[in-house]
Amino acid sequence: MKLFSHTFHVLEQGLDYSSLKQKVISHNIANVDTPNYKAKEVHFKTELSNALQSLEAYRTHPKHFEFKKKTPSNFLVTMRNDVLYNHNGNSVDIDKEMSNLAANQIYYNALVERLNGKFNSLKNVIRGGK
Amino acid sequence: MSIFQSLNTTASALTAQRLRMDVISSNMANVDTTRAKMVDGQWQPYRRKMVVTEPNEGGFSTFLNAAINKRTASIGNGVKVTKIVEDQTPFKLVYDPTHPDANNEGYVQLPNVDPLKEMVDLISATRSYEANVTVFNATKGMLMKALEIGK
Amino acid sequence: MIDSVKGNLFSTAVQPASQSVKPAEAQQAFSQFLKEAINKVNTEQVKSDIMTEKLAKGENIDLHQVMIASQKASISLQLALEARNKVIEAYQEVMRMQV
Repeated sequence: MKLFSHTFHVLEQGLDYSSLKQKVISHNIANVDTPNYKAKEVHFKTELSNALQSLEAYRTHPKHFEFKKKTPSNFLVTMRNDVLYNHNGNSVDIDKEMSNLAANQIYYNALVERLNGKFNSLKNVIRGGK
Repeated sequence: MSIFQSLNTTASALTAQRLRMDVISSNMANVDTTRAKMVDGQWQPYRRKMVVTEPNEGGFSTFLNAAINKRTASIGNGVKVTKIVEDQTPFKLVYDPTHPDANNEGYVQLPNVDPLKEMVDLISATRSYEANVTVFNATKGMLMKALEIGK
Repeated sequence: MIDSVKGNLFSTAVQPASQSVKPAEAQQAFSQFLKEAINKVNTEQVKSDIMTEKLAKGENIDLHQVMIASQKASISLQLALEARNKVIEAYQEVMRMQV
């Protein structure tokens, strides 16, 4: 029974990405005055990193670490190490972060709006148009 | 680590910026204070105070995980104030023989507070505070929107 | 969306009847299908409950995931209820038939 189509899955993924991005942006802006803080970024994972994630580690002892994480996520958080934006070793570009924040908010709202539309049309159909 | 993680992150920054402002107020208020501390029976003027901040990024486990997963950095939990330090630059010497704390040559030691510097820091703190308030409102808006799912 | 509902929800129920199978087999297949469908509705409910619990405990979970899970559970239940009502209606219609 596939009541919820692929679109739902895509919308959910989008929401996950957006809320993670929100966390990262708030962390960056919170640390806008912290010396030596390096800004962070969220990316959708590429095929390569997905492939890397599924690599098995050659373990000679059960207590050795595995490569794989317990909960594989579809996103990647990276640090912006090679940029120096402020004089104190901080690499947060506040203007960029603020515009990302606004864009992210709109993106999130749009996704929720679409999800609501999908849910409502499903409900409508189930109620038989009544 | 709950749904309010990003609100907590922002709140930590608001606290830190407010503390910065408090410290700046204290510096400005004591710009002429010559009797702040008694050292060896001698009054010492007020020393300028500064706030030291650092990102709040969990403990050892966060860094271990980051190292194991190579490229995936952790998302932190905002900012924390680690300490308040005193500016060790020398005091200003001003010639004023009538001052009660003047030494034998007629010079007074005044605090090493530079009002200009303090004002610049104050503006910076205010702007950061405002930026964080914006983030707080944005996050709150997103949470409220998420509550509307299915309405 | 309508296609996916029709294609997946009803085709399995209709198919056994269209081929030449014994009534007992068809009944078996249908009851099996019904059981599975109800189980799936229940799974959605349980999932939603787990997420709600996590939310209440303040564990690491996103608000939108909780809301989506609850909506999915509610819609699945709604669909099951609506289907049940239709079946009961049809049954009563048959019972009222003059023989």
